[in-house]
Amino acid sequence: MLIRKMIRDIKKNLSQFITIFLMVFIGVMAYSGIEAYMDGMKNTSDVFYSENNLQDLNVMGAINDDDLKEIKKIDHVNDAERKLSVNATTDNDKTLLLNFIESNNISKFYLIDGEGFDINKSGVWLDEFYAKENNIKVGDTILVKYDTLELHERVLALVNIPDHLYDVRDSSELYPDRKEFGFAYLSINEITEKYIKSKVMNEANIKDEKIFDYAMPNFNYKDYIYFNTLMVDVDNKDNVDKVKNKIDDEITSAKAIIKIEDSASYVTYQGEIDEGKTYVGVFSGLFLVIAMLSVITTMTRVVKNQRIQIGTLKALGFKDRRVLLHYIGYGFYISLIASILGLIAGYYLIGNFFISLEMAFFEIPNGHPSMNSTSYIVALAVVLIVALISYLTCRNILKENPAETLRNKIPNVKKNSLNITTKGIFKKMNFSSKWNARDILRNKMRTITGVVGVASCAMLIVCAFGMLNSMDYFIDLQFKELYNFDYKINLKEDVSDTRIKELENIYGNNTSKTYGIEIKNKDIKESNNIFVTDANEYVRFVDNKGKFIKVDSDKGIYVTYKLAQTKGYKLGDKIEWHIYGENKYYTSEIVGFNKDPQNQNVTMTRKYLESLGIEYKPDSIYSNQDLSKTKDVDGIDIIQDINALEEGMTNMLSMMKEMIILIIAVAIILGAIIIYNLGILSYTEKQYQFATLKVLGFKDKQIKKIFIKQNNWIAIASLIIGLPAGYYLTDWLFKTAIEEHYDFGASIQPLTYVIAAVGTFVASYIVSRYLARKIKNIDMVSSLKGNE
Amino acid sequence: MDNFIELKDVKKTYVVGDKEFNALDGVSFSIPKGEFVVILGPSGAGKSTLLNLLGGMDNATSGTITVDSENIEKYSKNELAEYRAENVGFIFQFYNILPTLTVLENVDIVKDIVKRPKSSKRILEDVGLKEHMNKFPNQLSGGEQQRVSIARAIAKNPKILLCDEPTGALDSKTGVEVLKLLKKQCDANNGENTVIIVTHNALIAEIADRVIRLKNGQIDSINVNKHPKSIDEVVW
Ligand SMILES: Nc1ncnc2c1ncn2[C@@H]1O[C@H](COP(=O)(O)OP(=O)(O)O)[C@@H](O)[C@H]1O
Ligand SMILES: [Mg+2]
Repeated sequence: MLIRKMIRDIKKNLSQFITIFLMVFIGVMAYSGIEAYMDGMKNTSDVFYSENNLQDLNVMGAINDDDLKEIKKIDHVNDAERKLSVNATTDNDKTLLLNFIESNNISKFYLIDGEGFDINKSGVWLDEFYAKENNIKVGDTILVKYDTLELHERVLALVNIPDHLYDVRDSSELYPDRKEFGFAYLSINEITEKYIKSKVMNEANIKDEKIFDYAMPNFNYKDYIYFNTLMVDVDNKDNVDKVKNKIDDEITSAKAIIKIEDSASYVTYQGEIDEGKTYVGVFSGLFLVIAMLSVITTMTRVVKNQRIQIGTLKALGFKDRRVLLHYIGYGFYISLIASILGLIAGYYLIGNFFISLEMAFFEIPNGHPSMNSTSYIVALAVVLIVALISYLTCRNILKENPAETLRNKIPNVKKNSLNITTKGIFKKMNFSSKWNARDILRNKMRTITGVVGVASCAMLIVCAFGMLNSMDYFIDLQFKELYNFDYKINLKEDVSDTRIKELENIYGNNTSKTYGIEIKNKDIKESNNIFVTDANEYVRFVDNKGKFIKVDSDKGIYVTYKLAQTKGYKLGDKIEWHIYGENKYYTSEIVGFNKDPQNQNVTMTRKYLESLGIEYKPDSIYSNQDLSKTKDVDGIDIIQDINALEEGMTNMLSMMKEMIILIIAVAIILGAIIIYNLGILSYTEKQYQFATLKVLGFKDKQIKKIFIKQNNWIAIASLIIGLPAGYYLTDWLFKTAIEEHYDFGASIQPLTYVIAAVGTFVASYIVSRYLARKIKNIDMVSSLKGNE
Repeated sequence: MDNFIELKDVKKTYVVGDKEFNALDGVSFSIPKGEFVVILGPSGAGKSTLLNLLGGMDNATSGTITVDSENIEKYSKNELAEYRAENVGFIFQFYNILPTLTVLENVDIVKDIVKRPKSSKRILEDVGLKEHMNKFPNQLSGGEQQRVSIARAIAKNPKILLCDEPTGALDSKTGVEVLKLLKKQCDANNGENTVIIVTHNALIAEIADRVIRLKNGQIDSINVNKHPKSIDEVVW
């Protein structure tokens, strides 16, 4: 019988139970979906890194055979492999990062199609994404040019490599352009004798091959093949530092030793996880909280509205336990089903959706969402909370004696809570305001839930749009204010001083040089870089407020605000640093701060660099000439168009934008559901009183006004809280949650607030109007018979 | 003014499942202005249904109900609301007062709907609630709450006062006080006010000008009392 009663009750309160179902479903789905996405990201890379043996250290420098043997002998080193990495151009003007290797036991190929590595095979193992973008298949032949070397190579395989999840040609390019840039691996044997010989002759300044053969009768070109990178696989992550220091001390040809955790590919992928965890964690957590709040109020109401039935059941002689179990069952089964479906939908819909977005960006095989125990625990907790709420509410009613329960048709008005409303400004209110004010006081929990829910939605909308605004602001700052040039020319590393002078004469002498450095901070050495500017007005600087400042002191260094903040640097502090590959330490005084949205680094003038006794040899030239058609210039590596850079940044952010739009959509859906749900609650509770007003002769219109008034108040109160909260959430997300090398902050357009306010208010108004239509249909006769 | 209220062949049919059920099955009668009328009948006879139709809270399935020469069955929703506001005062067994308004405010509320309401304070004094004016309803006893609802009904100064078992939830002593208030309202306004009380307490019939008995949705009998007793004469 009780089961039949439960099913009938659920049918009668269908909209409430649908709300509970949807809220639990959406809450659990959002939460577990995001978890599955984040854990899937981590899991996917963990598997790939360990199965394909990602290196632990990259050692830069010309590592010879003896060095290699030495390094392999170091304790805790599992293995080490050398490679020669160079940028080459293809016949159709794309760039390929060529890696010539001797073996492939570290950073192993993951074969998408084709055959595995063998030093004796002639051909390339090619970047899968690059191949796809350029329609290259296994068996095709590609032509690459590096220096004077021209290689016709057959594509042996399409591969993914753990060291190349993300590759950009140049660090100022953020978004990988897979069509224009890719990687390729070849056997070291592909480097021809002819090429090495001509290179050696060139260096020795010998023009005639006969003279060279005569001078070096025992010339073996293999002795002159050089490598520029060494990958080290350490047995255990804990030992990486030990190995690093050992190589630093013992191998003189090691110019820089970089942990894999500092490499672009690793950092970017990891950054995606870290960033996502905070961003999306905050959002999904919020969703869950909002959803739970409304589930709790709804559940409380459903049980409270059953007080007469509870009293009757008790009067009939049902044991408390039976009654409790009966009412716990109400929420339990529904939220259990919703929770399970939420988990499934979270994994398959949300998890898969985000993972597939990411897998189009990062070149990593077997991307899949992954569910961990937190999601199960959260899902279970949600069900238990719903059951607990039903239990507590029901128990409170059971505590009263049945006579009392049955007598109080109307839930009690707490005696004193309304007393304040009989004095002061309340006295002057008209009937409808007074009535609404008291109704709010009487239903604090419902009102608070309403305000929290609607405010959160307004907050999320402000935050989501605010993030878009802020990103636009920072793109503008970076590409319109700070970068004040049309083209950036990156010079080749080995370009001669005379050639630089020639290039400066053509393109202008606005130049810069970036050094990789290590800063000594107490006992730790931290990697960073110094930007040495001789770019005049072509690269500009701003202070914290976005006002231009001059970086012109020749007495010391400038650091970015965020770097100063994280490291605790103050004006006048001295820092110790050295350039990668050199051992000499310099001490420099901080003479100013600048704001940089993308890079937290050190800046100095050319004059200051030279005053330290370091020769200034630019690596970049900035120009406003039209260089769109310029190519193949001697000494120039690549020319970057500022618009392309900006586009790269915009592309990079577009993925974030997609997520934000999704968040906005969910926020709006949640908001609408909450407003609707609370509207129904408050409507049902007032229906009895509305019927009374109707009997007295109030017109439907008057009653509608009374009803809508309260909802409008709640919407307004929510906006007062939600709009500023949106600002602070955005600011917090940008300041603390974003990757360390960014320095963003909230910069929200007034229009965003208007959109959020109008959107929220209109949604609330429409729902109120919609519900108010029901007033017309209140059947006075039956409403007044029983007031449940 | 013999036919101030006139019902002609009024039917009210409820459809329950696929069965039709006539709660009122062809009821006709008329009531002159200023009478104190009692409607008697067993539970389920259709008393409340009849009262609700008179009060313009529900529509009859067929038949006409004329009040003051107007067929209220033809009224639109808004006209019905106006009719309720201007002409009818309702008193229910379960008071139906608004729990979040004070006693005074519960009566004052009629100012929002009636053009010329009576002074709420005066009426509250009349019904003996002067001291309780600023209390909330749940701070009152049942009889006091019923008096609030009477005060609210009277404040509208209605031509017709409809009471559905007004004393049903009260002890007999309080019940008598409530009846006195109702009778007083009937006699006020030069005896022009009509009061209709639904009850199953046959004793109340003795003080009525007219007694209408209902049975199974039909009129069982109508008695006119030439000499109704005063309330104090009746032994309760
Ligand atoms: N909304 C309804 N639906 C179906 N039947 C109803 C409805 N309202 C009342 N009835 C039936 O009509 C009859 C008369 O009801 P009512 O007028 O309330 O009786 P009473 O004389 O006790 O006041 C009863 O048998 C009741 O069951
Ligand atoms: Mg009745």
